[in-house]
Amino acid sequence: MAVGVIKIDRVSLKKAGGFMGINAMLKGLTVTGRHFFKNLFGWIVGKPQVFTVMFPEQDIAKPPSFRGMPVLVQMDSGKERCVACGLCEWACPVDCIHIEPGETEDAIERYPKVFDIDMGRCMYCGLCEEACPEEAIVMSSRIEIAAFTRAGTIWHKTDLLTPVDELPRRLDYVRRGYQR
Amino acid sequence: MSDETAASAPSTMNGRFKKPVKVVIDGREITAEAGHPLLQVALDNGIEIPHYCYHPKLSIDGSCRMCQVKIEKAPKLAIACNTPVTDGMVVDTTCDEVAFARKGVMELLLINHPLDCPICDQAGECYLQDYSFGYGSQESRTSSPRRKGLKRHPIGERVIFDQERCILCRRCVRFTKEISKTDELRVFGIGDKSRIGTTSERPLNNDYSINTADICPVGALLSRDFHHKRRVWFLQEHESVCPSCSNGCNVKLGIYNNEIQRMVPRRNDEVNDTWMCDHGRLNYHFAQDETRVRTPLIRDDAHAAPASGNGAGADVKYATTLDAALEAAAEKLRGAVSVHGGGAIGVLGSPHLTNEDLFRLVQLVNALGTPNFDMIVPVGPADDFLIKPEKAANAAGARALGVKPGDGGKDAQAILEGAKSGELRVLLIVGSADAARVLGETGIKDAVAKLDALIVVDANRSPLTDAATIVLPGLVWAEKDGSFTNHAGRVQRVRQAMEPHADLQPEGALFARLAALFARGSAPAAYDAAATLREIAAGVPAFASIGFDTLGSAGLALQEPGAAGAAEAAAPAQA
Ligand code: SF4
Ligand code: SF4
Ligand code: SF4
Ligand code: SF4
Ligand code: FES
Repeated sequence: MAVGVIKIDRVSLKKAGGFMGINAMLKGLTVTGRHFFKNLFGWIVGKPQVFTVMFPEQDIAKPPSFRGMPVLVQMDSGKERCVACGLCEWACPVDCIHIEPGETEDAIERYPKVFDIDMGRCMYCGLCEEACPEEAIVMSSRIEIAAFTRAGTIWHKTDLLTPVDELPRRLDYVRRGYQR
Repeated sequence: MSDETAASAPSTMNGRFKKPVKVVIDGREITAEAGHPLLQVALDNGIEIPHYCYHPKLSIDGSCRMCQVKIEKAPKLAIACNTPVTDGMVVDTTCDEVAFARKGVMELLLINHPLDCPICDQAGECYLQDYSFGYGSQESRTSSPRRKGLKRHPIGERVIFDQERCILCRRCVRFTKEISKTDELRVFGIGDKSRIGTTSERPLNNDYSINTADICPVGALLSRDFHHKRRVWFLQEHESVCPSCSNGCNVKLGIYNNEIQRMVPRRNDEVNDTWMCDHGRLNYHFAQDETRVRTPLIRDDAHAAPASGNGAGADVKYATTLDAALEAAAEKLRGAVSVHGGGAIGVLGSPHLTNEDLFRLVQLVNALGTPNFDMIVPVGPADDFLIKPEKAANAAGARALGVKPGDGGKDAQAILEGAKSGELRVLLIVGSADAARVLGETGIKDAVAKLDALIVVDANRSPLTDAATIVLPGLVWAEKDGSFTNHAGRVQRVRQAMEPHADLQPEGALFARLAALFARGSAPAAYDAAATLREIAAGVPAFASIGFDTLGSAGLALQEPGAAGAAEAAAPAQA
């Protein structure tokens, strides 16, 4: 297929930014300054116009497309949906998932005896979620991974299990996104 | 799937030489032997024709219809597995007609196939999965419920059957009929009521039953030992040889996290075709269970009076370094030789060690100057197929290398008697389980009471390592490079598949260092199995021309058939 090439006239740097970009810099500083004073006085009169929130005391509602930490979906029975098929473990580009499969008496046959994710290594790419054939691992809106030790950043199955009612929006998003 | 193409020479259908014919497959001219199945000819030449029921070591069934190809001048598609090649045959495996036929076969197979891949152990090495991606359709044209069947059915002690996944290729049925000759499996019912099963009084329990799980192209028959254990795509596969009897079946070790997860047969038409026995397949846990000896030990009451030495309280041994343990062992040996002469030492070798280890042991024994040198070869039941009476991988190699009493020396029985009677001062036992069994509990007590030192080299705990004065930890076969000589005198390569614990060393290295320490000589060069085998080839005529570079993955026969013949003659005598 031939590739069409469109030539765009480059706006010369000098024209846009003035001498050494001074104009652009001043413009930026003006915006920053305007917000600074707006917020400073807003704060004093009790009407702050900040865009940021006072995290962690406050939080924002994240859209379902938000990719926070991957978590395991917990069914109403209290058990995980995961069958330890190992596809997420394989898909993960940074190898931060570790699963030890085991056998259960349930009809489902397999379950993860151990399911660990090293959150210190996870890069929230969501490939585990995409690989999962069971909708058992999804990206949540959780983002707090701080821990006092490195071992503390490894989340075990009990830490990862999240009730299915807390994840309906993401599950719906996943289903639509991957056309399941 | 790699087992399907001939490892060495292409298999001949009945051994007779047939005249070569020329066939054209997908535009490639190929010379083959007349009468060979077209499917095998294609596979041997790297042309993939999908198939389920064909297996190179079983009779032809022609039941799956997956291997259909277009043959010029033939009225309709033909199954490649049951079409002998003839001169001038022109075959097309890629045309639309063939693709359409394959798609149809796939659709029929999948109509009732459960969506089990995530919980199915076969996933990753499943023909149905692979062919579904390669030749099937992504869409399903039916939404009627799938047929239900037995799940996780214990069809035998070591095999699990999932009826829903079965595609009725009858490979397993032919296996029990033609290979194990036990006939447990049958097809019951007809038409879409057909199912594989056993009669209730004869479950699938033959000595080779797990091979059915290997040849089952889907996840219908599964090994219980490997069930839900590990995804096959996480396994690192290493070529090796089964250590459990003198047949030396070729195997692949599946390793994960430095542990053996499973052992599966590897094709070698000279040794085991594509099979192995269940006992051998499951006998790998000793390589990684809690019986492993991983630290060198010196008994703290080594100098105490032997009378009290057997009490439970005094039975404490101290972990030490390998250097210290070797030094202590050398000192004991030197002491005994200087006071009583070489004849005061007895050495029991082990038929479980590699040729390379044993060569170094023979050198050590020569340095010690004792004629009291032998080994105990465990024997057990055998059959006329693969299972051999000698339950050790390298008894023939040990004989070929000279693990036997010297002039006027004691044999194994006499060595153990000599240890009990106090005639021997120091006993060096390599691979202790068999000796422990022969000695028995009281025998071990007597021997320990009379001996100046009992030095045991072993990878696994036994009553003898518990009683020993000095324990030098060895390695299991999967942890070292080397070679085994099987009952027929075939030398086969074993490869290091696992990292040994800490700084443990192969027995060959221990013996070389012990010999140097005994003679107060300089430390030997770093132990290298390849170099040792070169030394063996130069020094032992039977091994001439055998080296790691020439063994390949199929192995080589020893030069003198005499060595192998002697080995076989000796086996029944010990049984
Ligand atoms: S989000 Fe990406 S990096 Fe994190 S566990 Fe999943 S696959 Fe691995
Ligand atoms: S892909 Fe899904 S079902 Fe499979 S192991 Fe991961 S979370 Fe479990
Ligand atoms: S037999 Fe193959 S296709 Fe069927 S469930 Fe198992 S892996 Fe999937
Ligand atoms: S159990 Fe496996 S080998 Fe036997 S007929 Fe079914 S699919 Fe074939
Ligand atoms: S392989 Fe030819 S019909 Fe099955």
